[in-house]
Amino acid sequence: MDFLTNLATGFSVALTVTNLLYCFAGVLLGTLVGVLPGIGPVTTVAMLLPFSFTLPPESALIMLAGIYYGAQYGGSTTAILVNIPGEASSVVTTIDGHKMALAGRAGPALGIAALGSFFAGCVATVLVVVAAPPLASIALSFGPAEYFSLMVCGLVAAIVLARGSVIKALGMVVLGLMFGLVGSDINSGIRRFTFGFRGLADGIEFVALSMAIYGLADIALNLGKKEENAEVHSKIGRVWPTLADIKYCIPSILRGTTLGSILGVLPGGGALLAAFAAYTLEKKVAKKPRRFGHGDIRGVAAPESANNAGAQTSFIPMLTLGIPSNPTMAMMIGAMMIHGISPGPRVMTERPGLFWGVIVSMWLGNLMLVILNLPLVGMWVKLLRMPYRLLYPSIVVFCCIGTYTVNSNLFDVYVMAFFAVFGYVCVKLDCEPAPLILGFVLGPMMEENLRRSLLISRGDAMVFVQEPISLFFLIVAAGLLLIVALPTIRKTREEAMQE
Amino acid sequence: MTTKLRMSTIAAAIGLSLLSTATFAQSYPTKPVKLVLPYSPGGVVDFIGRTLAQHVGDALGQPVVAENRPGAGGIVGTDVVARAQPDGYTLLLMDPAIVINPTLQESVPYDLFKQLDTVSVVSSSPLVLVVSPGLNVKTFAEFVAYGKANPGKLNFASAGIGTTPHLAGELYKQSTGIVATHVPYKGIGASYTDMMSNKVQFAFSSIAGALPFTGDNRVIALATTGETRNDVYADKPTVAESGIKGFSVDLWLAVFAPVGLPADVKTKLNAAIKTALEKPELKAAFAKVGASPRGTTPDVGAAFVKADFEKWKKVIVEGKIKPTN
Repeated sequence: MDFLTNLATGFSVALTVTNLLYCFAGVLLGTLVGVLPGIGPVTTVAMLLPFSFTLPPESALIMLAGIYYGAQYGGSTTAILVNIPGEASSVVTTIDGHKMALAGRAGPALGIAALGSFFAGCVATVLVVVAAPPLASIALSFGPAEYFSLMVCGLVAAIVLARGSVIKALGMVVLGLMFGLVGSDINSGIRRFTFGFRGLADGIEFVALSMAIYGLADIALNLGKKEENAEVHSKIGRVWPTLADIKYCIPSILRGTTLGSILGVLPGGGALLAAFAAYTLEKKVAKKPRRFGHGDIRGVAAPESANNAGAQTSFIPMLTLGIPSNPTMAMMIGAMMIHGISPGPRVMTERPGLFWGVIVSMWLGNLMLVILNLPLVGMWVKLLRMPYRLLYPSIVVFCCIGTYTVNSNLFDVYVMAFFAVFGYVCVKLDCEPAPLILGFVLGPMMEENLRRSLLISRGDAMVFVQEPISLFFLIVAAGLLLIVALPTIRKTREEAMQE
Repeated sequence: MTTKLRMSTIAAAIGLSLLSTATFAQSYPTKPVKLVLPYSPGGVVDFIGRTLAQHVGDALGQPVVAENRPGAGGIVGTDVVARAQPDGYTLLLMDPAIVINPTLQESVPYDLFKQLDTVSVVSSSPLVLVVSPGLNVKTFAEFVAYGKANPGKLNFASAGIGTTPHLAGELYKQSTGIVATHVPYKGIGASYTDMMSNKVQFAFSSIAGALPFTGDNRVIALATTGETRNDVYADKPTVAESGIKGFSVDLWLAVFAPVGLPADVKTKLNAAIKTALEKPELKAAFAKVGASPRGTTPDVGAAFVKADFEKWKKVIVEGKIKPTN
């Protein structure tokens, strides 16, 4: 059976000592940054990109993936114990989780968060395994025209699903596309928008851009906030929830997992959206909803399952189609491209070891996280007391070293400095940087495939609607655009985003 | 008294340092040698460069450190070496892009013949002509016939404007009169899926890039571009023996140094490279990427590089290949 051979391939890659170690390093580091507020998986992945180039691509992706879903676990610890979300996706966990901690039930809250996440992680991993092969079977029919339309669809979805103003999201995507144009054009060999800087001949370095926006600009923003020396509830007590607790939570975990799995696949989705949606759903459907907000364990179980499921399934579009659904995935694609692997449906057929290895490692990683985290909660709590005056300068230094080592080029560090200021200004102006990153990553690929399609079709633009797969994606894109344009839907969207 | 003492100390120090400079040239190398690789880690140049560095280091008795300085199609790394001190501690490993860029690009920061000196050619590797299975051609002759019967229908893939696979395709067009459209990719590897589904029909690919796809005939290898047959594709003819006289494309690699290298340093380096190229481990490593070791004297190497420069200059000028909009 294909299903089993695929899994066997995956296990043979993921179970090597080296890859187990990188998986472990990834989830450990992920939990660490998840616990610490003010530094997230995107920053960490950005910082580790240069290091990952020295690893084989399998190990690199396994480690980077571990950071992402590991952070979802870590984030809940801070949310429950300190009432500060360690990760944006744990925001809703603070509502009921911290109340539980105040009531002396921190242990069960942490326990159910871990168990719910583990269950969701397992289900989502199986989902990835099942959903991937049908997508792979169309890999060969993916020519330049299909890629172009797919990317149009991805970009439109990024705008539709972005938080906040549509106009601002659109502006950021376009800006990202334009930054992506800098450098040597592959079709003509002309250097565009380099302003005579040889350092820009190969374009704006992706590592420099992402570290600037998610590392440096983030730090600057956090420095602007008042450092909250929140009270850490270090009395945790029994970690395992009671059987009654678990029974009570099973429906919530199931709902959270389902919703998270679906939302994770959508571009612009991922863990954050999943957690919010799951909490809202839970409030609507659960019995005795009035207890939410006052330390209801279901208010921890549902969003925690959802954010982990979402984190996991957001790998589906990234691995199978090469479309990043969030900035971390965009960075994973960057990592693949620097390893010379062109993202897309072909990865599955051309690099089965990489593809299935990463997926299986996610399941192993989830297992490690449960075993790791419940006994180690005490240690993470100590870490929360690490002062930012030590943490932030080290991040700045690591960002500079990391960016420099990619090309051994000082120019890239200046580029990073420039975009750090730029990123700070953007966030201050309420412009989400995520669409910009997506535009930056997808833009050059989109242009490349557009011009390649037209070269092959000898200039006939009809090729995009004549190919069925390409037409399908264009219709989906048009549909999504229509959705934002409709006034009633736009209104609900804005309300939903505000919640 | 103290001043005198100090003066004599300084004099002694100067004398000592002079002495050490004098012995310095004789005992080259006294410190690690840097070999600049102007491409990112992971490619063929990186692989050959690191293998070579290890074995040349053994022969010299000092480590040779490979350093990636990627950027602008190899121009950044080349420029770094062109500006370095000609003391034998900074070397460059470069492919034909070094002779193509000066003609192709509007300007390059280095002067190939005034600033850089060939130490030795180190490897030689032909390209392989691969075609889509959708064309239903089995031999080189059938492929040429197909191209002549279907003018303007063929697309050929390359690793980008001005790369050896692109210019090899142009040379093929110029020597057969066949009309085909150039479709550039980011690397030749990215073009294979489109070749399998017959969206592009042929390419002159590096052997390392073609091997995974020709083994099970997902694309068809027709001929190699060297002067003699290649061991990897021993059953395939060369393009020249198949009827296009003088057609030869070599994806060579050579070691360069900044101009002005002391003669004895140059001799020593050339000898060390020659020793390294004869090691069986190195030969085996080179064979993995379809390259064969090839040592030359500095003079023969320089003449070879100059000849390749002229060859591609002609193809570029005749094909009017320039980065344009």
